[in-house]
Amino acid sequence: MATEKNDPTKEWKVGIGAYIALIFAILFFSGLFMKVDGIKWLSALDFTTLGGTFGTMKEPAKNTFIGAGGVSAKAGFLFALSLVPTVMLALGVLEIFSHYGAIRAAHKLLTPFLKPLLGIPGLTGLAMITDLQSTDAGAALTKELYDEKQITQKDLIVMAAWQYSGAGMINNYFTIGSALFAVLTAPIIIPLILMFVLKFVGAMIVRFILNTVYKEEFADE
Amino acid sequence: MSNHTKATSNNPFDIFVVGARKGFQIATNNLMPNVLMAYVIAEILNLVGAMQLIGQLFAPVMGVFGLPGEAVTVLLTAWLSSSAGTGIAVSLLAKGVLNGTHATILIPAIFLMGSQLQYMGRLLGVADVPKKHWPLLMLISILNSCIAMFVMRLFV
Repeated sequence: MATEKNDPTKEWKVGIGAYIALIFAILFFSGLFMKVDGIKWLSALDFTTLGGTFGTMKEPAKNTFIGAGGVSAKAGFLFALSLVPTVMLALGVLEIFSHYGAIRAAHKLLTPFLKPLLGIPGLTGLAMITDLQSTDAGAALTKELYDEKQITQKDLIVMAAWQYSGAGMINNYFTIGSALFAVLTAPIIIPLILMFVLKFVGAMIVRFILNTVYKEEFADE
Repeated sequence: MSNHTKATSNNPFDIFVVGARKGFQIATNNLMPNVLMAYVIAEILNLVGAMQLIGQLFAPVMGVFGLPGEAVTVLLTAWLSSSAGTGIAVSLLAKGVLNGTHATILIPAIFLMGSQLQYMGRLLGVADVPKKHWPLLMLISILNSCIAMFVMRLFV
């Protein structure tokens, strides 16, 4: 409905799509689709069904407050709520490590690898390392380097390739990924290291393609 | 996410609280709506029977990575949003479709090709990467995910 403007001098234009949307809205909330005999899949269009159920304490000694056997929105909400404490802990601790210079040290270690592996100048290190924590901040720093003509367009594309795959890796992994940590069958550091290595692999492939397939485009750089 | 703002205090307890507050904001503004959506999508796919169909259809492809066919829904959703992809993975774990080994294979892939739809604007757009090269960067991310799943099979 964002496209409709509240201009009192003009009449609202109501197309056929709007009526269809209204009909769907009424049917969705009506409860008519909840239990149609023989066509169980219709319940996928029913508000109450999609609201789902909370899990129950099937085995009180084992179940957390999420319970067992919950489905859809209600189960998703409680599950997401169960992640909040570890997300807060992870970002709180990361904040402390960053404060004491962990990022600066990582920057120092990363810089010597940039020129030989990716062919980009060492001064791009800060933008790259920032991307591991925050996609948006990394993107902003990258644009700044390009605007100040410190990097060429080819450098920019290689940097973007490195950042784009697994963007915001550390923060995303420890916030969102933590939902899966409990069931992982390998130490949680292994996927993280693998992602870091593959960022380089992907960017090196992009560098190679730019140097071969798109050679002419960057001939003057 | 504005994780780049510096804490004003030098007291580690205050710094922790600043970070924890960011964590709370991410959890409530980003994680909860996305995970809730993922659970509802998974339930819709389940009710209309699409999950079983997808499972059978993609079983040969996903089998290459040691995963059941249904795992493709995790990757497709992850491309839209990492949180939603993770949410689908958790709901499939709860249903017993996936197990811990499958989750371990999937987790790096979820993030290597994760949230690319959003990051097109937030990263490639912001950094002024020429649009012509966007498809290449996307393909590379998906390739990275495939390599990651192969490698993770060695660790599980």
